[in-house]
Amino acid sequence: MNEPHILFVDDDVEIRQLTSKFLRQSGFRVTPARDGREMREALKGTQIDLVVLDLMLPGTSGLDLCRELRASSSIPIIILTARGEETDRIVGLELGADDYLAKPCSPRELTARARAVLRRSMAEPNRGYDSWCFSFAGWTLDTRKRELIDARKVVIDLSTSEYDLLLSFVEAPQRVLSREHLLDAARNRIATGFDRAIDVQVSRLRRKLASCPGGEDIIKTIRGAGYLFSPEVRRT
Amino acid sequence: MKAIFDTLVGRAIIVLLTGVLTVQLSSQSIYESTLASEASLANQELLVQRLVSIFQSVARLSSEERDAAAHELSGGAVEAHWAGRPRALGNAEEEWRVLRDQLLGRLPPGLPDRVLVGKDGLNSSPLHLAMISMQLPDQSWVNVGILAPHFHPPRPWQAIAATTLVALMVMLASVLMVRWLARPLEQFAAAARSFHVAGSSETVPEGGPREIRALAAAFNDMQARILRQTRTRTQALAAVSHDLKTPLMRVRLRLEDVGDRRLKKALEHDLSEMERMIEATLNYLRGDRSAEETQAFELVALLRSISDDANDLGQDVTMQSPSTVVLRGRRLALKRAITNVVQNAVKYGKRADIAVSVEDDEAVITVRDEGPGVPADKMDSLFEPFVRLETSRNEATGGFGLGLTIAHEIIAAHDGTIVLRNRHEGGLEVEIRLLLRGPIGNVLSHNRNAPTEQF
Repeated sequence: MNEPHILFVDDDVEIRQLTSKFLRQSGFRVTPARDGREMREALKGTQIDLVVLDLMLPGTSGLDLCRELRASSSIPIIILTARGEETDRIVGLELGADDYLAKPCSPRELTARARAVLRRSMAEPNRGYDSWCFSFAGWTLDTRKRELIDARKVVIDLSTSEYDLLLSFVEAPQRVLSREHLLDAARNRIATGFDRAIDVQVSRLRRKLASCPGGEDIIKTIRGAGYLFSPEVRRT
Repeated sequence: MKAIFDTLVGRAIIVLLTGVLTVQLSSQSIYESTLASEASLANQELLVQRLVSIFQSVARLSSEERDAAAHELSGGAVEAHWAGRPRALGNAEEEWRVLRDQLLGRLPPGLPDRVLVGKDGLNSSPLHLAMISMQLPDQSWVNVGILAPHFHPPRPWQAIAATTLVALMVMLASVLMVRWLARPLEQFAAAARSFHVAGSSETVPEGGPREIRALAAAFNDMQARILRQTRTRTQALAAVSHDLKTPLMRVRLRLEDVGDRRLKKALEHDLSEMERMIEATLNYLRGDRSAEETQAFELVALLRSISDDANDLGQDVTMQSPSTVVLRGRRLALKRAITNVVQNAVKYGKRADIAVSVEDDEAVITVRDEGPGVPADKMDSLFEPFVRLETSRNEATGGFGLGLTIAHEIIAAHDGTIVLRNRHEGGLEVEIRLLLRGPIGNVLSHNRNAPTEQF
């Protein structure tokens, strides 16, 4: 398989160069662009797998570019912003971005998110962007707000790694997932800087699911094989 | 009594009452003195007529019948006798002279000019105000004693009742009127209380009397100036903090080229510290205006995230809780608040032991550490922005003095409380109390009247 091709849009020349360099070292092909115009140029000429988009751009704003991109294609988008406002994130995800990162982020965090988004888009190349919720057993996982709501309509707070893990489960329900698969999905997803065995993450997630009656056995352990997300999942 | 003087209404009533009472009392006394002189004039006239009729009646009778007739004609304030000699001493004072002159004018003319008015010569009974002796044509005398005061002043209780009634009416009217006058001032007080540089403040309506309108305009102007000033500064500070993020991002990227692993780790740590401070500053400046919605959330899961994250960083954080505690509020804001408290404990008290319980309609979260605690006189100041305790803070521990300020603001906005106290066993205990919008059944079905939407 070819290296995934990332279009990196940021108006700061040094961030563009440094990020491109890091992403290349991490095994991506990178085309840098400084604004919307350069972004459109690049999209015309080449096959791009993922767009990383800064929100504060000269000329057309990142949010407008995001809307524009989404209108014409289902190319995965990660939004990057220094504003760090909750509303920015929700608006960005509503406009169809796949993920959101606040500046300053570690470059490893960026590559991890990029991999996760790419993996998801390859698994479901034709998914619609008007559905961002997964429903199972009365629960809802809202990927736009990154919120898990239990059967009592109560929000269950999840850490980033728990969220990623749960997302891996709901994307492949009622299938035995190996520890390696889950670890790979969650790899480098370590804003905290610590690697945690997948079992610890699963047990933490289970404990959170257990706060609502009926949540105890949503994730089953399959001896010697891995884990299984037992309920049926619907996209809504 | 002091409380009455304390309010504008009370003072206005006192001013009005004093005025009304002064007017009432002075007009009463003027009225009474006029009445008294009128009455005495009228009385004197009656007395003269009566004396004349006694004189004429007695004069017409024979000497045997005279004394009996005189007695019959007595009554009320008048006591008449017939005698051979005058009883009046004729030493009439000024006030009786008019009476005597009138008598002389009325008695049949041609009579000898013998009317005596004065003290009783027979016995100086204090009962007799005066004794009047009139000589009959046959040289005998009719002696008439005046017994009672010849003037009755109006009964004083009537005057008091009238005055009291007027006073009550004035009081009622003035309460209503002064209320009306004072209402704009109460609106002022409310506006001044609600004024907050970080929030949206209401202006005072510029109505009412001219002085109040001027005051309202001045107040609104001052409020606008303060807001402008703080907003400019806030924006400047926010812009600086925000602009720092781009160079920080570059540093993060350049760090990837650092070969020395220990150096890299140390630099990453410093960088994280700076990022946290900037985030804290921005959070503080943003204040409680975040657009986050109020939702029902699982407090236990939230605390679990905080303690797990801390454990991942190698921090000593434990947690004890029931299996579920549901709160209503802004989840991310409260997470930030509690994280700040926990991080404070870890930073200055080596560890954090989190415990949650439910007491009545409150969730009680305690965070205990094993640090040196806080001197009692510094307790309150810890909630002030940028306040740090000199003793325990140094560069290695970092911090910015905003953690508890932000926590306090967020918790206060949720109608909750946060209290610091030193533990007997040593260390600090932070207690956070948040109103429970009921266990889940209550949240969903039983709609409490608590204004959950307002924060």
